[in-house]
Amino acid sequence: MERLKNFKGKWDLSLVVLLITEILIFGWINPRFLRIHVLLNSANDFVTVAMIALFMTFVIITGGIDISMGSVVGLSSVVMGLLWQELGFGIWTAVFCAILVGTLCGAFNGFLVAFVGVQAMVATLGTSFLYAGISLVIIGFSGISAAEGITGFPDSFRAIGHGEFMGLPSSIILFVALAVIAYILLHRTTYGRRVFLTGINRAAAEFSGIKTKLIILSTHMLVGTGAAIAGIYITSYLSSSRADHGATIILSVITAVVLGGTSITGGEGSIIGTFLASIIIGLMTLGLQMAGMPTQFTGIGIGLLLVVAVSIKSSMGEGNLISDLKRKFQKESK
Amino acid sequence: MIAIKKLAKMREMTALIFLVLLFVGVGLRNPDFMNAQSISTVLKGSVMYILLAIGMTFVLLTGGIDISVGATLGMAAAVAGTMIRDGSSVVAAMVVAIVIGIVIGLINGFGVAIVKVPSIIMTLGVMGITRGVMVVYTGGRWIENLPDSFKLASQVKILGGLNVYFLIVMIFAALVQLYFMKARSGRYFAAIGDNLEGARLVGISAKKVMIAAYVISGICAGIAGVVFASQVGFVTSNTGVDIEMIAIAACVLGGVSLSGGLGSVTGSCIGAVIMTAINSALIYLKVPSFWNKSIQGMLLIVIVVSDVLIHRYLEEQARKRRLSARTSVLGGAE
Repeated sequence: MERLKNFKGKWDLSLVVLLITEILIFGWINPRFLRIHVLLNSANDFVTVAMIALFMTFVIITGGIDISMGSVVGLSSVVMGLLWQELGFGIWTAVFCAILVGTLCGAFNGFLVAFVGVQAMVATLGTSFLYAGISLVIIGFSGISAAEGITGFPDSFRAIGHGEFMGLPSSIILFVALAVIAYILLHRTTYGRRVFLTGINRAAAEFSGIKTKLIILSTHMLVGTGAAIAGIYITSYLSSSRADHGATIILSVITAVVLGGTSITGGEGSIIGTFLASIIIGLMTLGLQMAGMPTQFTGIGIGLLLVVAVSIKSSMGEGNLISDLKRKFQKESK
Repeated sequence: MIAIKKLAKMREMTALIFLVLLFVGVGLRNPDFMNAQSISTVLKGSVMYILLAIGMTFVLLTGGIDISVGATLGMAAAVAGTMIRDGSSVVAAMVVAIVIGIVIGLINGFGVAIVKVPSIIMTLGVMGITRGVMVVYTGGRWIENLPDSFKLASQVKILGGLNVYFLIVMIFAALVQLYFMKARSGRYFAAIGDNLEGARLVGISAKKVMIAAYVISGICAGIAGVVFASQVGFVTSNTGVDIEMIAIAACVLGGVSLSGGLGSVTGSCIGAVIMTAINSALIYLKVPSFWNKSIQGMLLIVIVVSDVLIHRYLEEQARKRRLSARTSVLGGAE
């Protein structure tokens, strides 16, 4: 049991080992994978997952979940494109409004979960329909072609996705900046400790004077903001604003958070873990593609990663597979 | 407790009344919606959702959730469609579809019941894997050119205009409802969802029942896949995307509690018909189809929120009654 506990404490370390193993295996399959240029640019593709996952960590630590974020990515992208092209807003005003919309979407989720008391899974299931539906309605009214989306953004905006700073692609800078913000917020402030306490024991947190409803509301607003930033980033990177940008993202996001060591039942988790897990997932996507697999295989890979990671985590607790087996063996040896 | 039981009965009634009102209300605006032709179209279209909702009811009753049913449906539709196109018999294809459902259900059930992975995470992972496998299997191509006899089977009418698939599914639903009400093992599902420890103490093998629930859900999704192939006549690589959301919404509409232990198959069947009727009502109201998703989402949110509020109100009432009963007893003793 002692060893298991130690292992659990070293989850971050095992992620680093997993990451290095992964790089070595893919580098062995295709040496081009090891070029620093390729590795740096791979961030372009996984940074959207990471942006949401970093803040989703907060929500899952409080014991909730938010599956509507894929729809928020699409909605913020569409809102931005619409404000800029159809209503003649300045590009940066449009970006700001889109991020605001994302925060509001998160606030509505948080309101349903914390104040009305709907289960997080169910509430965000409903809002994921609603937000995706709203983007379809917006597109339907403005007469934009759903397949092409809005294109032709100015270069200053496209720099978000394509710019470079001191030789680093902008995606890496955004990724690291958001990770640092999330890390400080969760691990270095009273707010972060309140998030943890809410997840560990909500009643106790409430009795010790923490307004748990506001904490839960704020975590949902954070992930909404993160999803909107991801929506802006992907709009800039692909130079087109579409409703279906985030359609399949949620599986990767939850995998990143859970693989990062955050307990799905709340109360436990770390930003460093999510940070590392996002890179692992991103590099796996890239590596499978460079190894010549069709893109569909990544869905299988990510799904397997999710199931295996959670199985390992939950097998280590009491009353689970491993302890059951142990008891059985002990009985037999007696 | 009696009040809640009454409410559960009421919930089926409210769902039914809502369905009738929907038909009458839309019928007032557009009388074409009330004629036999349109009603039979709705019933025919709901067959697939009814099947999924029946399977989902088993899982929801045990307190879990199964979001892999859409992927299972797609996988079964793809494999069965390919077999039928290549000339094998419908019965063989049906058997294979059911086997696919059983396998996926066993994986889900194993993960949830034995390894103790939270059901949403387990089925989310399995969804990702199944979807990936399906696209790899079909190579991203559509499965077309299904034989006419297979497609026409979905149009057969008996007993004065009743669709044969609908009739079969109704008989199936009635049998399941009888099983839940009369059979001893039928009550195990709700018992586990209501009070897991209590169910274990009275000798119910919770793990077996839980695995059975996921397997049944998988089987229903597999059959629904064949129904889909027969009704639609082709299978795209997107088949089954988002369908799990509609199945869950149907169950919630019909009064199945998402925290387990409460609900009936009758209710979820009515819910499934409502979900289909709304889509076709929007057509008759000449509402553009891009509204569908947001209206479904809004409806789901409204229903879930009112469900929570009604439950809270009833619990409050019951608590008050208990308190007042206690004080009156104390008063008598003095």
